[in-house]
Amino acid sequence: MTAVPHSPPAAIQLRGVGKRFTGSDGEAVGVAPTDLDVAAGEIHGIIGFSGAGKSTLLRLVNLLERPDSGEVIVHGENLTRMSPPQLRAARQRIGMIFQHFNLLHNRTVADNVAFPLRIAGASPERIRERVQACLSFVGLSDKAEAWPSQLSGGQKQRVAIARALAPEPHLLLADEPTSALDPRTTLSLLEVLDDVNRRLGVTILLVSHEMAVIRRLCHRVSVMEAGEVIERVELANGQVPPDSRLAQWLTEFGGASPTPAQAAGALEKESASV
Amino acid sequence: MFDLSIFDGVIELLPEIGKATGETLLMMAICLTAAVLIGGSLGIAVFLTSRGQALARYRRFNLLANAVINVVRSFPFIILLVAVSPFSRHIVGTSIGPLAASVPLSLAAIFYFARLIEQTLRDVPRGVIEAAEAMGASPLQIVFHVLLVEARSGLILAFTVLTVSFLSYSAVAGVVGGGGIGDLAIRYGYYRFETDIMVATIVLLVVMVQSIQFLGQWLARRLDKR
Repeated sequence: MTAVPHSPPAAIQLRGVGKRFTGSDGEAVGVAPTDLDVAAGEIHGIIGFSGAGKSTLLRLVNLLERPDSGEVIVHGENLTRMSPPQLRAARQRIGMIFQHFNLLHNRTVADNVAFPLRIAGASPERIRERVQACLSFVGLSDKAEAWPSQLSGGQKQRVAIARALAPEPHLLLADEPTSALDPRTTLSLLEVLDDVNRRLGVTILLVSHEMAVIRRLCHRVSVMEAGEVIERVELANGQVPPDSRLAQWLTEFGGASPTPAQAAGALEKESASV
Repeated sequence: MFDLSIFDGVIELLPEIGKATGETLLMMAICLTAAVLIGGSLGIAVFLTSRGQALARYRRFNLLANAVINVVRSFPFIILLVAVSPFSRHIVGTSIGPLAASVPLSLAAIFYFARLIEQTLRDVPRGVIEAAEAMGASPLQIVFHVLLVEARSGLILAFTVLTVSFLSYSAVAGVVGGGGIGDLAIRYGYYRFETDIMVATIVLLVVMVQSIQFLGQWLARRLDKR
């Protein structure tokens, strides 16, 4: 485990946040009380096998899952202590994208991107301006009047990213954003996410079970198993510290290709997964 | 040429048929309006308070509303018609005629449509509703910006089913003097064995049902962009 210096302000602070469910077979699943710190400007990955609690942990950050215990603090605001209207206002500053995109099918691409702004009561001029800017950012300006059903999976996820960016959030939550996409599309989408972080300064918390995605994009990683964060790893240029559990998983399940360039290559070829 | 004299009875009764059609349309207008406004709101409320939805914490309301919907829908319509007739008299001042028949019709339509709406809304993917929640949408915004938009073709089809069902229910209302096309069929066709009138009214009802169904499906298809 690597100690990480904390100079920038924390974007996310989870303090003892946990959530237990009873699974269909009566087994307890969910997330054990966990601390998590994500610095502003960072891309933080959460990796683990299916059922490890990664998505639950992510969904605890914007309280789509209500924690049984603990506190969720996003950019200094304690979400767990907010009233429903306050929480809704806070959520408007947190973008989220999903594995299955979750676009509104009966609305055009432009109307999908406008959606969070309409909810927030933005002016028509601001909506028009943001829709144009965000669609151009994801390279889909020419699809503004298309229906989602006319787009490919990669394009749908780009629309979802544009929609998440429309209200200018400081934080983007990404729940398995590339898991429904083929490796080549995944690669181009990771570039978009990298741009979101680099050019717009948006902090990203990303859940994935794809090792190559994590290695290509993330600055730091939390490794989860059975509802607990068992390891926190810093990735310097995609290099996984050799003594970490993550490195062990990599050799076991994902092949050993420690540089980002090779990781990208591996992604194209086999889409390495844990 | 065909012998058109068999339709003499029908031609003679054309003014009656016109009046009956007007009465049927009046009953339909009243009960469909009540169903859409009251039943629609009830259906949305039941959906929102069901497990896993935005207002799931109002579980008691959900249980109660579900029970009431089931009870009213259990009544055979003809029994409901008779059972609420004192209530109809209280509201519209009489227990016969299309206005009086509109009371039990509305009652049945409200709870029928509530159930249809609740079930139609279940077709909206949970993930889409969740995405709206994650963007900070309020329950009311989710209703108007997500549920009613994403389910719109299903809602049109639900309304089509409602309309067709209550066209035939309104004919049953004829039994208690409700008026309308069904009343005509019963009075002339059934009690007086005037088969031509019976056939004419049935043809009229078939044409109405076909048109409603065609229009509903056409509109639903046009609005569906999924």
